[in-house]
Amino acid sequence: MDYLDYVQMTKGQQISYKITSFFTGIPGAIGTFFKLVGYFIKAFFQKIGDGFKNYGARFSQGDGATKLSYIIMGAGNMAHRQLGKGILFLAAEIGYLYFMITFGSVYLGKIYSTGVHFDPDDPSKIADGVIGSVPVHYTVDPFFNTRTIDNLDTLDNSNKILLFFVLTVIVTIAFIALYITNTKSAFATQEMLRNGETPMSFVEEAKMFLDERFHVTLLVLPILLLLVFNILPILFTICMAFTNYDANHQPPGNLYMWVGFKNFADVFYSNPLKSATFGKILVWTLVWAVFATFSNFIFGMILAMLINKKGIKAKGFWRTMFVITAAVPQFVTLLLMKMMLADKGSLNAMLGTQFPFLTDANWARVTVIVVNMWVGIPYTMLSVSGLLMNIPEDLYESARIDGANAVQQFTKITFPYIFFVMTPYLISTFVGNINNFNVIYFLTGGGPSPADYYKAGQTDLLVTWLYKLTVNSSDFNLAAVIGIIIFVFCALGSLITFNLSKAAKNEEEFS
Amino acid sequence: MVSKSKRIVALLLTAMMAATAFAGCGGGETTTSSTGSTESTTSTTESTTESTTESTTEASAQVSAMDLDAPDILQKIKDQMAQEAAATKNEIKMTLWCSGDDFKFEKDLVEKFKEKYKDDRYTFNIKVSGAIGEDSAGGKIVESPQDGADVFNFADDQLSKLVEAKAIAPVGQIFQNNVIANNTADSVAVCSMNGTPYAFPKTSDNGYFLYYDKRVFPTEADVASMEEMIKKAHEQNKGVYFNIGNAWYNTGFYFAAGVEITYKDGVQKGNFDSDAGFKAAKAMCELAKSQGAGFEGTDGSLGDNAAVSQGFNDGKLAAAVIGTWVGPAIKKAIGVQNVGAAKLPTVMMDGAETQIHSFGGYKLIGANAFSKYTVTAQALAYFLSSPECQFERYQVRGLIPTSTWALDQEYEDETTKTKIVVKEDPALKAIQAQQPYAHPQGQSVGGKYWDSNVAGFGGEIVTAKGNLSDDKIKSSLKNLQSQMD
Amino acid sequence: MTTKQTGTNIGTMQTGYAAKRKAANIAVYVILSVMVVIWIFPIVWLVLQSLRGEAGISTSYFFPKQITFDNYIRLFTDERFPYGKWILNTLLVAIFSCIISTLFILMVSYAFSRLRFKSRKTFLNLGLILGMFPGFMSMAAVYSIMELIGLKQQLFALVIVYSAGSGLGYQIAKGFFDTIPRSLDEAAKIDGATRNQIFWIIILPLSKPIIVYTALTTFIGPWADYIFVSYFMKDKVESYTVALGLYKMLDNQVINDYFTTFCAGAVLIAIPITILFTIMQRFYVAGVTGGAVKG
Repeated sequence: MDYLDYVQMTKGQQISYKITSFFTGIPGAIGTFFKLVGYFIKAFFQKIGDGFKNYGARFSQGDGATKLSYIIMGAGNMAHRQLGKGILFLAAEIGYLYFMITFGSVYLGKIYSTGVHFDPDDPSKIADGVIGSVPVHYTVDPFFNTRTIDNLDTLDNSNKILLFFVLTVIVTIAFIALYITNTKSAFATQEMLRNGETPMSFVEEAKMFLDERFHVTLLVLPILLLLVFNILPILFTICMAFTNYDANHQPPGNLYMWVGFKNFADVFYSNPLKSATFGKILVWTLVWAVFATFSNFIFGMILAMLINKKGIKAKGFWRTMFVITAAVPQFVTLLLMKMMLADKGSLNAMLGTQFPFLTDANWARVTVIVVNMWVGIPYTMLSVSGLLMNIPEDLYESARIDGANAVQQFTKITFPYIFFVMTPYLISTFVGNINNFNVIYFLTGGGPSPADYYKAGQTDLLVTWLYKLTVNSSDFNLAAVIGIIIFVFCALGSLITFNLSKAAKNEEEFS
Repeated sequence: MVSKSKRIVALLLTAMMAATAFAGCGGGETTTSSTGSTESTTSTTESTTESTTESTTEASAQVSAMDLDAPDILQKIKDQMAQEAAATKNEIKMTLWCSGDDFKFEKDLVEKFKEKYKDDRYTFNIKVSGAIGEDSAGGKIVESPQDGADVFNFADDQLSKLVEAKAIAPVGQIFQNNVIANNTADSVAVCSMNGTPYAFPKTSDNGYFLYYDKRVFPTEADVASMEEMIKKAHEQNKGVYFNIGNAWYNTGFYFAAGVEITYKDGVQKGNFDSDAGFKAAKAMCELAKSQGAGFEGTDGSLGDNAAVSQGFNDGKLAAAVIGTWVGPAIKKAIGVQNVGAAKLPTVMMDGAETQIHSFGGYKLIGANAFSKYTVTAQALAYFLSSPECQFERYQVRGLIPTSTWALDQEYEDETTKTKIVVKEDPALKAIQAQQPYAHPQGQSVGGKYWDSNVAGFGGEIVTAKGNLSDDKIKSSLKNLQSQMD
Repeated sequence: MTTKQTGTNIGTMQTGYAAKRKAANIAVYVILSVMVVIWIFPIVWLVLQSLRGEAGISTSYFFPKQITFDNYIRLFTDERFPYGKWILNTLLVAIFSCIISTLFILMVSYAFSRLRFKSRKTFLNLGLILGMFPGFMSMAAVYSIMELIGLKQQLFALVIVYSAGSGLGYQIAKGFFDTIPRSLDEAAKIDGATRNQIFWIIILPLSKPIIVYTALTTFIGPWADYIFVSYFMKDKVESYTVALGLYKMLDNQVINDYFTTFCAGAVLIAIPITILFTIMQRFYVAGVTGGAVKG
């Protein structure tokens, strides 16, 4: 066990080891990140290149049926005694063509419309790069003189077009993959027949999905749903970051258009208010994540050790008291805390004071961290309690024989053990805290909001800002940019720590 | 049949002419038609009566209301409803959004509407939802009009946003004349953008004034100056509530100091970075110095309504700058006889006592442009804003009508057996006294204004208890100005 | 644990040490008691507020002067806030998303833990990357999709939202499966069992703790979610879940009337969830620490 080596160091060595290894690791990890990205890009194109090479090679070596399957999918399989599979391929091709003609092509054609009179009230306004080409059109009822939208069913909705565009792209990629599989399969069956083997029957192949290919059976449904309700929306949202989809350009009454990297420029430098807000929120998000994570970890550990201390009776009772508070749904306790801590809330009413727990920026920041401890410590306590029971008792025995006192036992055995085992937990908590919506939103709502913040407040995290931009002010494009930035931060942070942690290496060995 | 439709055409044309004369909205080709005079139809005495002091224009007299309850008109509307219902299996499925506290009342009105337009060709299925209040309805409609309610109550500041998003249907001609004729001219002006009426006025009290406890301030003179009030309230260990951490309220200071805040054609202007702006901010700072000692400048993250009703409940407040919607709660807390209402007090600004200005606003009803039932939605919106419903709304909910007829009513309260004259309502009088200093929201601020940090800066002043350096104030004002267009 | 025996052994040897330890224990009891008071205080306050007869948001005293159950009664009689309907909605959503999510999580983690296939590593990395996007970043898009497939403002849309991405939460269950000896699979394979049979007959029966843990966490999820419901249900009050409904009771316009009712509603849902969570805590510990050890 690795931690034994580690335990043998002195306390000072351990801390400096941890700290130096963390910081020396950062440049390396960032380097690794970009190396990995580069590697992926290279590998991706290499694969495509190889694919084309093989694709061509298979065509030139293929027999008539194989060659035919380059145009009519499944022809090779049908000719090579795999009728069922061939029919499935053919059905997929027909389905795809039908999808493209009736559906896909419509939206591909509208994704970048030029010369659109996008404003029905002002026909002189014309723009290029609009998503959609048919704006709202009104007719006037002669009797009631009410303006009715007469093209409710045919008017273009930029949202719908963008969404279907992304869907079409995904379907097309999936189809290309299937198409390549089709050519491979046609060629493989041709080779098998030439070598005198019989290609598997449809039933045999289907049976494989319960055994050799059981992973496909297990994964297909989760991945399909993930694709439709997770990946598709994410890609769609990423696209939004490059449009002017905001409060003034909301479909279906308006169309929106592509604006390139303008929104990113706004957030980073070109719009002083937005970029200043972003900078301040980013700093606070990181400060918050550090404090929230470590305050919970340290105090949760202390609490767990107090409860698990030898000679303390009714351990179950103590634990349950804390578990109860963790079990009450978070939004309830947080809203309750808000009502208690408001300037005119019950705590101030009972004390007869007006302490600005939530309305003064600095106090509000302290309050959210403290309340977060209230919320989170029971969880940490539970996890650490479990770990404490797992520490091999003989470690303590031998330490005691060596004359170690309680403090030394803690610094030499307990803490290093827990810290080592909990590293992955800490990473995920850290990422979780960067994205901790509940505590901030329900408690302070991000406030207080001074004049130099763009639709945000001094306790807002990037995520709560994202939420407000989406829900309150309809700045969808800006929200998408923030979402992408949060993603990059979390990915980078996790990669750095993940690379450092032993768990990653274990996984490498394991596979 | 022929004669009937002819009659209607004639009627419409006369109405239209009158309307165009008033509103100047593009009807265009009004030919000189006089196809026989119409019988009855244009009538109702209630509309032409003298309006309240706030209705100033003489134009309202030019338009006369048409009797929408006349059998032929009613039939025509029902025909239209049937036609709209035909597309959805003869069921008219609509949603109405209203404020959470009006929920029950509006629901009762909807029942009356159903009764009135009952017909065997269609059934009504109208859902009332109190989940989206007047403060947020406009935004939600703009966000996704097709998911929004068919008819919705909203505060007048959201109108510009709704019109820009083309999410609100302009008021149909048939209702237009009545809206114009029945309501005070100011309220009709607020409902219109570029001459076209887009919404139905409902109440005229979307503004704020001073509610005070007569036991602390026995005479009107006691509530004349903010500083005096704070002093007096503090002596009794109470406070005066003026939420300067909220843009809707603290803009009154900027107006008073002479900051020009305008909203026109989608462009928001506000010269905050000026001497006037500085003067206003300084005045707020001075007040905030008594924060917690006679002055309450923030809702303390509870929300206005809650903070004020709670404050009066606990005996912590002696006066509050707020609107009619908290009136019932204040009355309940300190007793009807102790509640006084007055215009806003003056405040010391750059050495001179200056009257604090305010937003004078209206609450409106809108019909969703994306509704499947265009005319039905408008009929419902019209019904809910009709003089009778406004009067009832005043009786039940205490909300001040915009209908000139309703404003002229008197009645006997059933529980207290006292005679109530609508015009004598203390809140109404307070609103009228504040009127010269009240700015219509629609012309001063657009959606963007509320997103700016006018509120945030006010909040900053309160939390700092007014101790902000002049440089800090100036840089914040500069920031505010940069957030306008 | 062996604490007791060692404690007494040492105690008999050194009485001075024992006294010191006794003092230390008393200090610990005091600290724990203070902490319990701090932690329990808001909960007790919640219960007291739910029984408060006086109107309004706060009182300047701790114990209500009038004790009443009206707030609880009002929950089920109020026309504006149909609490009973919300409970049913939430229960329905929770049950369905619990079933689907648990199945998905077990399937995915089993595949990643016990099966070896070509693009396993790619999928693992992809899962990690997808998990890094803020969950609600794309909810506007998800809403559009729901609209297209006719599930706009439907409860079933919530079930899909809660369970569609559940496959990504495979880490803890995978950590658990990793600990089951592979020799079991090998032996079964020699006996001619397919991987399908191994999954159902051998692995799942051994995985009770992780199944219970997964089922309970996925069941509790919908009770606490606010973000998605509020965005998806908009004005459709009768399709709200408890979390959103209770939140609406604290709206500026109604809070003064409904604060104590909110407390009553909160207490009612807190009770079953607390019971579930207390049952679950040992599985929670096993899940978190088991997952943590393995990564």
